[in-house]
Amino acid sequence: MDHKSAITPGSLNQEQELFAEALTRSPEERVSFLDGACHGDRELRNRLEVLLAANDQPELILKDITATADTSSQDETIGQALGRYKLLEQIGEGGHGVVYVAEQSEPVRRRVALKVIKLGMDTKQVVARFEAERQALAMMDHPNIAKVLDAGTTEQGRPYFVMELVRGIKITDYCDQEKMSTKDRLDLFIKVCHAVQHAHQKGIIHRDIKPSNILVTLHDGVPIPKVIDFGIAKATEGRLTEATVYTQLHQFIGTPAYMSPEQAEMSGLDIDTRSDIYSLGVLLYELLIGKTPFDGKELVSMGIDAMRKTIREQEPARPSTRFSTFLGEELTAMSQSRSTEPPKLAHLLQGDLDWIVMKCHGPRQVGK
Amino acid sequence: MAGFRHFSHLMTELLQIFKSKQSPLGSLIASNPKTMSEITLILEEIESGNSKAAERLLPLVYDELRKLAASRMAQERSGHTLQPTALVHEAWLRLGGEEQPEWNNRGHFFSAAAEAMRRILVDRARRRLTAKRGDGVVPLDLAAMEISIPTQDDDGLLRIHEALDKLSLVDPQKAELVKLRFFMGMNYREAADALGISKPTAKLWWAYTRAWLSVELRELS
Repeated sequence: MDHKSAITPGSLNQEQELFAEALTRSPEERVSFLDGACHGDRELRNRLEVLLAANDQPELILKDITATADTSSQDETIGQALGRYKLLEQIGEGGHGVVYVAEQSEPVRRRVALKVIKLGMDTKQVVARFEAERQALAMMDHPNIAKVLDAGTTEQGRPYFVMELVRGIKITDYCDQEKMSTKDRLDLFIKVCHAVQHAHQKGIIHRDIKPSNILVTLHDGVPIPKVIDFGIAKATEGRLTEATVYTQLHQFIGTPAYMSPEQAEMSGLDIDTRSDIYSLGVLLYELLIGKTPFDGKELVSMGIDAMRKTIREQEPARPSTRFSTFLGEELTAMSQSRSTEPPKLAHLLQGDLDWIVMKCHGPRQVGK
Repeated sequence: MAGFRHFSHLMTELLQIFKSKQSPLGSLIASNPKTMSEITLILEEIESGNSKAAERLLPLVYDELRKLAASRMAQERSGHTLQPTALVHEAWLRLGGEEQPEWNNRGHFFSAAAEAMRRILVDRARRRLTAKRGDGVVPLDLAAMEISIPTQDDDGLLRIHEALDKLSLVDPQKAELVKLRFFMGMNYREAADALGISKPTAKLWWAYTRAWLSVELRELS
């Protein structure tokens, strides 16, 4: 009898349930299970055997249909051990991957931050690039830099990095929350500059300086900024493709505003310390007036080529000029989070601060 | 979910830009405000139980996806390929999706998008096969050419398409899963969310569906 005639919605569910059950048994147990479950229904029995065989040998076109996509979703679970690290809790998710708090067991017991990188990036290359920098990274020792401790690969072949655990909040958020004055913000900013300078002296370029990579923690009531993810941006260096733009939107919104012209180009030109300086300039700009030189949202709306062109060629408004365009609620919010009256702020911005910010921005390419 | 809410908030802001007439992209592909409110109305109808309304969603989504693919092609250097999920996510945003308060509406939209993607890809496969056979000149849809899915097997894709029609009759949900995973390239997490099931259930459903399709495809050939 043609099994097709037996395909009604009802019997499909039964078929599926038995199929699922059979899968949980070992091949030997399956035979007896099927014998029992089918109650002598030869047709059902044959059908299940055919299905189970197809499960072992699916049609080629259906195999690995989302090869990269599936493995790029989180496969790590809490409590899982990665070498000497045990995953405790997830604390973040970015475009690069997922960050966990992990417990290291040896040579010392301590809590660390462990970042697993999404697949879609060539693992061997990523780890190799990291290893190349590891020596230099190990030599970095600065109170405002989170140490990168280790690197490895998960069972699924995804690279992970182990870093000093920094529990803090984004520098821009911290300053706004605490309503820090311009002077206090500059104090924090200078600490960050020292950190980056220290790294540059060791030959390390961060390449991804942005507020979410500078966390502020408190030690005895004193705010300490820590720059995180040193060495990781270089290792996982990827092209700015439409995939990065449109599937990871919440990460993208932050990054292009901080992206230097060299990074935006991604043309293979060596990215040097100037790239970090550019990003620091953007950070200063944002700490001073609460906005980035180029609006991240506008950049996204332009499409990739226009965005690159803008970053390369357009001259942003000076902080003081930009500030003078603020009105109403915007102006109020901005002044309040800096505990300073608008006229005083305007005065502070003009002159040296304007100059410093524009210097970080560097000369613009004219035309192309 | 907190991450999603934050994401949602940012998307709402982003949308102000997309909808703004000053947006440079706006001139390239005008997001028709009429389309947006049409979609909102249709989604509301679906929510209040009129599942037939979903049929009207399809042509709107289909149009939007093709226009979007065309515009992306015009912007990117050649050699760039478009992931179906990326295209659909973008269409969702451009059509004002993140302003929908109901999480469910996203599922309906993605369902329509998956079906639209299926039709785009099936059409492409047919044209390519016709071109290969040399049966006269069949214009290729340039925009669709850029959409990338893991398989190059046009014949196989058409057979999956046929088998899917059959599967839809007996188990619409499993057919939905095939559309989401095969034509849209969604991973288990995304497909599970779109269908409103857990990830382990999605994996199980897929194991069964894949076996079912494999048997069906072998019988068809």
